[in-house]
Amino acid sequence: MSGLTQYSNSAESTESTVGSKLTCQAACAKSWEVLDGGTRYVFHLRDDIFWSDGKKLTAKDFEYAWQRLIDPVTGAAYAHFLYDVTNAREINQGQIKDLNQLGAKALDDLTFEVRLNKPAAYFIYLTAGPTTYPLRKDIVDAHPGRWTEPSNIVTNGAFKLDSWQHEYKIDLVANDKFFLGRPKIDKIKMFMIPEQSTAFSLYQNDQLDFIDNRSFTTSDIEQCKKDPNFKTQALLRAQYLGLNTKKAPLDDVRVRKAFSMAIDKSIFPKILRRQETPMSSWVPPVLIGYEPDSGLKFDPVQARKLLAEAGYPDGKNFPKTEVLYVSREDTKLGLEAIQAELKKNLGVRIELVNQEFKVYLTTRKMHPPQVIRASWSADFPDTDNFMNVFTSESGNNYTGFKNKEYDKCVEDARGELDSVKRANLYSRADKLLCKENAVLIPLYMATQCVLYKPWVHGIDVNALDIQNYRTAYLEGSN
Amino acid sequence: MNKQFLKQFKKMPMACGSLVFILIISIIAILNSMGLNLSPYAFDQTTPDALQSPSFTHPMGTDELGRDLLSRVFYGAQLSIGIGIFTAIMSFVIGTIYGAIAGYCRGKVDAILMRIVDVAYALPDLLVMILIGVMIGRGTLGILLALGLVSWRGTARLVRAQFLQLHQEEFIEAARALGQSHLDIICKHMLPNSLGPVIVAVTFTVPMAILSESTLSFIGLGLSPPACSWGTLASDGWRSLRTTPHLIFFPGIFIFTSVLAFNFLGDGLRDALDPRTKASSKQFF
Amino acid sequence: MLLRVILKRMLAMIPLLLVIATLTFMVIRVVPGGPFDQERNLPPQILANLNAKYHLDKPVLEQYWLYLGRLCHGDLGVSYKYVDRTVVDIIKDAFPVSIQLGGAGLLIAILVGVPLGTIAALRRGTHIDHLAMFVSTMGLSLPLFVVGALLILIFAIWGRILPAALWESPFHAILPAVTIAFKPMAYIARLTRASVLEILQKDWVRIARSKGLSESATIIKHVLRNALIPVVTLLGPVSAVMIAGSFVVEIIYAIPGMGRFFVTAVMNRDYDLIMGITLIFSVVLVITNTIVDVLYMILDPRISYE
Repeated sequence: MSGLTQYSNSAESTESTVGSKLTCQAACAKSWEVLDGGTRYVFHLRDDIFWSDGKKLTAKDFEYAWQRLIDPVTGAAYAHFLYDVTNAREINQGQIKDLNQLGAKALDDLTFEVRLNKPAAYFIYLTAGPTTYPLRKDIVDAHPGRWTEPSNIVTNGAFKLDSWQHEYKIDLVANDKFFLGRPKIDKIKMFMIPEQSTAFSLYQNDQLDFIDNRSFTTSDIEQCKKDPNFKTQALLRAQYLGLNTKKAPLDDVRVRKAFSMAIDKSIFPKILRRQETPMSSWVPPVLIGYEPDSGLKFDPVQARKLLAEAGYPDGKNFPKTEVLYVSREDTKLGLEAIQAELKKNLGVRIELVNQEFKVYLTTRKMHPPQVIRASWSADFPDTDNFMNVFTSESGNNYTGFKNKEYDKCVEDARGELDSVKRANLYSRADKLLCKENAVLIPLYMATQCVLYKPWVHGIDVNALDIQNYRTAYLEGSN
Repeated sequence: MNKQFLKQFKKMPMACGSLVFILIISIIAILNSMGLNLSPYAFDQTTPDALQSPSFTHPMGTDELGRDLLSRVFYGAQLSIGIGIFTAIMSFVIGTIYGAIAGYCRGKVDAILMRIVDVAYALPDLLVMILIGVMIGRGTLGILLALGLVSWRGTARLVRAQFLQLHQEEFIEAARALGQSHLDIICKHMLPNSLGPVIVAVTFTVPMAILSESTLSFIGLGLSPPACSWGTLASDGWRSLRTTPHLIFFPGIFIFTSVLAFNFLGDGLRDALDPRTKASSKQFF
Repeated sequence: MLLRVILKRMLAMIPLLLVIATLTFMVIRVVPGGPFDQERNLPPQILANLNAKYHLDKPVLEQYWLYLGRLCHGDLGVSYKYVDRTVVDIIKDAFPVSIQLGGAGLLIAILVGVPLGTIAALRRGTHIDHLAMFVSTMGLSLPLFVVGALLILIFAIWGRILPAALWESPFHAILPAVTIAFKPMAYIARLTRASVLEILQKDWVRIARSKGLSESATIIKHVLRNALIPVVTLLGPVSAVMIAGSFVVEIIYAIPGMGRFFVTAVMNRDYDLIMGITLIFSVVLVITNTIVDVLYMILDPRISYE
């Protein structure tokens, strides 16, 4: 499928783009204008785009898709993505019944207009994501509840859905009519393989051409790295420990700081072996507002001192402290290492409590323990997506941290179109979060590792972990 | 009776060998649980030597965090054997009481109790264990409950069948005629006379529990780290069969030999108690 | 007579399934976490929209009545995770896969287990006997995932003679079927051995032998036919073992069967799918047990089920 815009594709550019900024490029929209101080966007669609059944794509298809996303009857989980659009929140929450009140309109067949409540610096990124892709009203209506079946679905992307066996396989075939040119490979078979080692075996036996992170274990990785076709892509996926500021002993900021300073983050790439970037700030290195010293640095001496000041010299009498996490190979290894670090540097023994994913989510929401191991994957490449997590109103903030200054920085930065001012606001917020209040301990940014056969070229994996096969091709020995 | 049993049992080298092996493993487990570690490293002590192959300093090699596998396998013994034996005890206690009530009361009570067992049998074991495991959460307690809940059914059926048979025996009729209380009849006459096959069945429960615990770990419902059992070690290690085989080899060998030992012990006990080796599927479940 | 037993069993299945449905329904709702909980918390209004869409906003008892009502019409509900797919759709795809895998596994288990047990019994006390029993006990002594990993390593990675995983051709079914057959094979071999030993001591076998009937004829005509009767009873428990095995084997070999869907459904809290698969598994177990009893009655007319 293809949306109004798309992310820049590293496989198409000449220079290496690993770790570089993602930008939005033209896709269905050949151009767009930002008007009225950033509150109105007008997209001009290409004239030569056809759906896979031959019908022409129009702005109406976007209008319908956006209305459907916001319609409470749809029950869309990601409807709040468009809450910046005029009346979107009100419609989704049932206060306005008329879907046509939504501030996203087809002005004519080729012009799509979006009105926002107030400026949002990141808005354009939303038009590159799958939630805002166009949909065909006639198709969705003709096959109620079944329009995603391969025999019914109509698409406009580089590939068409040929067949789909759930929990097993997706077959894609090239779309001859794709408006950016037919992709170079005719067919893609994607298998959903629950076991890492199974996928790796299949790769070794030449039954798979391309595998990623989910397909090799930590102990396999050294062998994979010897392969010249092993590549690592830094992701916008932050791993952190959230500290519960309402629960003893971590309600004492000195204890939180001590924890933060007692963990040597450089151990993670050594243990997890996937070229992870150790972090001390919450803003990721490639995004606006990043400053290397926004967070606390590893300093075991200072950490012990702070812990002693808080009343626990050498970790004596330290109350039982639990870390809640979901059992996965990498999180478990990382936490066991943290457990050892805190024991070594502070004399504190923390308890690791692993729970099945959904139980973990419930515990985190209802009875968060002192420490929560969590991860945050960016929805779009903008600092706002990260900073929003820890505002007072955020549903994802389990730390009990509520700070007016922080909230104001994030709110102001959101609509700030001057990038220098915006960066300053974010770095101030970052310091409040990681240094002054030590609400969380950033650990590292995760990576996506991919391994492909020598005859595979041109697969693009970006920092949001979107894998693009449009530019892929096969060449060489097989 | 006892002497004859011992004589029979001594004739079986496999069973005797198994008993010795189980005793050794149990001693390691007990020493470990008392804080006496037989290896120079603590089970949760990380070192910079990650993923080392077996060597003189680390006879079984090290894992991803540089922890000594030997010490982890020894530590795992107490949880694996412990879970196995506790499950067996639970299955014995619950199953015997349940089966005894059904078999002694007969009639309507029996019918109702056995319908409940039917329901329990119509639910696949692993399904029940997954649901319980998710509900109670991780840790030894959840695992013990999950395993205990699926293991009592066979024992209950066995005890009931034994009791139903015993009702026809003359000495039971006699005890009843003499006016002995129900409890006395059950405890003094019926239980001791049906214990043999039950003990055999319970012996087979231990390896079942050890293996089921490893399956739970495999599905992701295992123990909380840094605690480890052979099951969690195996389910962590089996993926590295090609690259670092020692991670699966040693826990695997310990699971294999002790499960084998308990199975041989069960075989031996059965043959010693009933030299004719009756063919019945009940002995396997 | 037979028909009456079958009919009675089938009728008894209805209350049994009702109890199982009720139990499962309550248990999965007690388990923490709902189908729409995810890493990032949904705004309350969106969660409310989703719950309303699937009637999860109603009281549990009302949901239960709604579910039973639908169940009576053969409607097993919809999946919350696989949007737009009904539970019946999913089971229609997954059930044949599991049946094929289980059937192939059962065939292997019988074809290997019965001869192994017979040979062991005929050579009782010899090294052959010990070896056969050792091999079959081995099948009981390793976690299934380790057996699977070893088979993949030997036959797919080193040997390169069989595919390592996936479900594309009958060829792909060999390794998973062998893996799932390991445990039942061991049970069948052990029981066959015990059963053959018992028959061999019977007078009429001795007579047949003393009359000069050849060894192989004796075994096939007299011994095996009678010895296999108790083995038939194993089919019930063995199908339960197969179901448990399918959870692990289908994950290791990436096979889209019922076991795989069940594990994912539990992890997703996909309520209706969990219910649907549990009920199907229970029906399978009850039916195999009925078949076993009927077979037993045909093979051994002395037994009655009254």
